[in-house]
Amino acid sequence: MRKNSSIKRLRKDWILYLMLLPGLLYFVIFHIIPILNMKLAFQDYRIIGENVWVGMKHFEQLFSSPAFKDVLMNTVIISTMKIIFIFPIPILVSLLVNELRFGPFRKYVQSVSYLPHFLSWVVIAGIWITLLDPVNGGVNVIRNFFQLPTLDYMTSKEHIRWVLVYSEMWRSAGWDSILYLAAILKINPSLYEAARIDGASTFQQMRYITIPALMSTVVTLFILNLGFFMSAGFDQVFNLMNDSVLSVIDILDTYVYRIGILNGQYSYATAASLFKGVIGLVLILGTHFLSKRLTGKGVW
Amino acid sequence: MGQFGMTRAIIQFILFLFTLAVLIPLLNILAISLSDPARVNELSGLGVLPKGFSLINYEIIMSNPFILKSIFNSVFITIVGTLLNLFLTAITAYVLARTEFVGKRIVLVVLIAIMVFEPSMITEYLLMKDLHLLNSYAAVIFYKAINVYYLFILMRFFQEVPNSILEAARIDGAGHFRIFTKIMLPLSKPALATLALFYGVYHWNEYFRATIYLSDPNKWPLQVVLRQFVVTQDNTTLLKGVEGMTPELLATLDFGSLQSATIVVAVIPMLLLYPLILRYFTKGTMDGGVKE
Repeated sequence: MRKNSSIKRLRKDWILYLMLLPGLLYFVIFHIIPILNMKLAFQDYRIIGENVWVGMKHFEQLFSSPAFKDVLMNTVIISTMKIIFIFPIPILVSLLVNELRFGPFRKYVQSVSYLPHFLSWVVIAGIWITLLDPVNGGVNVIRNFFQLPTLDYMTSKEHIRWVLVYSEMWRSAGWDSILYLAAILKINPSLYEAARIDGASTFQQMRYITIPALMSTVVTLFILNLGFFMSAGFDQVFNLMNDSVLSVIDILDTYVYRIGILNGQYSYATAASLFKGVIGLVLILGTHFLSKRLTGKGVW
Repeated sequence: MGQFGMTRAIIQFILFLFTLAVLIPLLNILAISLSDPARVNELSGLGVLPKGFSLINYEIIMSNPFILKSIFNSVFITIVGTLLNLFLTAITAYVLARTEFVGKRIVLVVLIAIMVFEPSMITEYLLMKDLHLLNSYAAVIFYKAINVYYLFILMRFFQEVPNSILEAARIDGAGHFRIFTKIMLPLSKPALATLALFYGVYHWNEYFRATIYLSDPNKWPLQVVLRQFVVTQDNTTLLKGVEGMTPELLATLDFGSLQSATIVVAVIPMLLLYPLILRYFTKGTMDGGVKE
């Protein structure tokens, strides 16, 4: 009975299904097939003829490889540094911007601070390589002013991870504050009025009204960030990398690119991607359900 | 009130410093690109005004057929890619927004799965190889023909169109395709414009797929060329085929200045669109944030 009516509807709305066809084809060809083809991780790639199933061979090779361990460590370290040092900045920016009245200065601060978000990492890398230049870069001009020795950040293993942290901060601090600002705008203004009548200072208002009201947004975004932990920023690392610092900033994605695309070890590289994908999936699903439990809101 | 004024002044000062930290590196690049190559060394890394004024860097870039070709390639990829994005996203969103569409649940679940699990760049690369799309613009354009997140945004937008309008059109004998082209698309111009900006920015900034899929340098977009001599410091392509490039002229050039000028060229379209971007993106993101 139900089947019959479905068929009837299909016949009546056939144009609708025809309209879905291009999109469906796109998703099948460019998403579903590449995902299914990740079975390559359990096979040996052959240029001619069928690939041969080899079971867990590439995973065993992966987990016994010191290079892979280093890459995994770099990914974890860089992601952790970014979460600790970058995550609070947009919150701080939104709190400060919120204290400006809606006026030309507020508009100026927002327009300027959103801008870097729309530049490609190639452009940002170019700007930052110039900024950190040992001869005349802006940062070294400041260092020299304070009588500090010149530093070549881009080739320094000790400093390059901080370059990743700061350049990411430079790019996203302003833009990421938008969501917090939106949440602040939702707060009932009468709360502030009441507080002001009671003589609360700007800081007290921030501490007792704005920050508590922001907490649920903070938790949601923090959890979301955790979900992308395994992607430590491919575009950024890819463009700021050079041979002298490769060993400390090589992350999973850049590793897959090097051994896969550049060296042609397709199966081995796919095994590394699959590992990353599965951990990422667990993190995203885990954080989704955790977020639903804690805040009632999920990732989707 | 005095105490509040003080706090506010401190906050304004901090934010002013913050915007300087964002702006100075950008303006410094612009100043380097506009400086006289012979005097660019005098320009401090914090300087925002060019030392001596010269357009020589831009003249060289604009007389380099290779760079001009790459700008053309970028424009082509951005326009064709964005149009394809809009068409595919809109037509798919239309179907997903229709209540009479059977199988919506399955499609939505698959789309969410696609959103959270990305394929490996290796299998994607092998797919392009199998489809014989390597070294063709199609690989770069098709790779992200529909962004699932934007698809959902547009779907929601379509769902808000009052059903009575659509019913009236159906009674007048309009089919789905007519309703889509004559009613839905005109009604959703603002949403489509916003998505066009999103997709356009994405295409203009994309370099990685082009790096791995396009082996013929004549097909490279500007971002790949830029990467070539800014990140990998390969200057050979920069001076190839420039007419009237004599050793004397070459000696007067400064590679850092040329690189800066290319960075500026790569950013210009972004800056031209920036007022629109600010208006639409900020509003969209704000609204999205409030709804969450």
